[in-house]
Amino acid sequence: MEHFLQELWIARWALAQGLLLTVEISAAAILCGSLIGLLAGIGLTYGKWLLRLPIRALVDCIRGIPVLVLILASFYLLTFAGINLTAVQSGLFALSIFCGAHMGEIIRGALQSIPATQIDAGRAIGLTFPRILVYVLLPQAMRQIMPVWVNTGAELVKASTLLSVIGTGELLLRTQEIVGRNFMTLEFYALCGFLYFLINSVIERLGKFASRRFALQ
Amino acid sequence: MTLLAIRGLTKNFGPVEILKGVDLEVNKGEVVSIIGASGSGKTTLLRCVNLLEDFNGGEIILDGVAIGYTGEGHARRRLGERELARQRAMTGMVFQSFNLFPHLTALGNVMLGLTKVRHMAKREAQQLAMSWLARVGLDDRAAHLPGQLSGGQQQRVAIARALAMDPKLVLLDEITSALDPELVGEVLNTIKLLAKEGTTMLIVTHEMRFARDVAHRTIFMDGGLIAEQGPSAGLFRNPKNARLKEFLKRANM
Repeated sequence: MEHFLQELWIARWALAQGLLLTVEISAAAILCGSLIGLLAGIGLTYGKWLLRLPIRALVDCIRGIPVLVLILASFYLLTFAGINLTAVQSGLFALSIFCGAHMGEIIRGALQSIPATQIDAGRAIGLTFPRILVYVLLPQAMRQIMPVWVNTGAELVKASTLLSVIGTGELLLRTQEIVGRNFMTLEFYALCGFLYFLINSVIERLGKFASRRFALQ
Repeated sequence: MTLLAIRGLTKNFGPVEILKGVDLEVNKGEVVSIIGASGSGKTTLLRCVNLLEDFNGGEIILDGVAIGYTGEGHARRRLGERELARQRAMTGMVFQSFNLFPHLTALGNVMLGLTKVRHMAKREAQQLAMSWLARVGLDDRAAHLPGQLSGGQQQRVAIARALAMDPKLVLLDEITSALDPELVGEVLNTIKLLAKEGTTMLIVTHEMRFARDVAHRTIFMDGGLIAEQGPSAGLFRNPKNARLKEFLKRANM
């Protein structure tokens, strides 16, 4: 135990950095992804077919590709398009579009479940469509989106471990490096797992709190 | 003074002609009811007036302004979203299925248009909304969500929501059809009160006695046209149109 604590003390900065990067990348990807998903979801639900078609194609493509492949592709393939991203940037890009595609589909489902009569009611009091979206449709959709959103957030944190393959110094890669130095495989992987669990339980708490805010009654 | 003038209004859903050239005038302060069988075009007519449906021909003039479209012939085109929204705010509409916003309280439902369309300050909007809820007898339910209210109460909130916007014309689309029989009375009483105060209303209804008692004039629609119209009392007593006679007989009038 003393030995472990000693090694932990030595590795503290590396672990903290990894943890911080994991949290940062996940948070940024959830934020960007949700924004992309919001636009995609609105486009898929209320757009004319000319808008719907390309969004539908993109969303289906991205959802059909494994996250690991998305990450590798954005790291190695974007270079050919003349876009040079760092490992962190391409990881963030891959996770954001992954999250965006899923959120798009979730938001479309939630919006489509709201009866069209709600739009009529909004129009009847003189609201323009963008305002109907903001004040009538999205608040109702949020109730359905919240639980799934929390899930997607947790999935994203777990998916961020895959960024270790392109050399992003997030929590898993840092742990691997530490274990490579001190060979305390069991202890440090257990700690790593516990930290992921901790992040996700915080996300779940936040989600429950937010769900209550959007709940009826 | 003519508030609403509809001239030669036509509307198709694909190949089906719903309105085949409707002409109708409604004066300020007048209460006009529209009766007729399902599919005769009553609701579509109302939705056209509130610009919830586009229409193919003819014009709707509200308070001297042709609404919904600009230009004529090939140049005729639908107005933009902002302009449509502005014109829709001139009419209030109450729906058969209430269509309250389920995530907002009764007060929130009435306030939304006041703050976001009429740009009133929150306090002012709240006061006006409360006074309208009081007029429909629901000020003690202001903090309730629609799901916690009975059908009749929900419909009264919907009436307050529409009236609080101070519309020139109020459109009521079968507002008691989705209510249990014992709840119909409270809603109709609210409308009677509004009629007494001189609110201009166009009412699509299946409540024949209500149409006869409250409306100054009644319109009978049949197959997308106005088949007969006249002062309510006379129209119900001596219907001339054969279809209207049969329609009233089936409605036990």
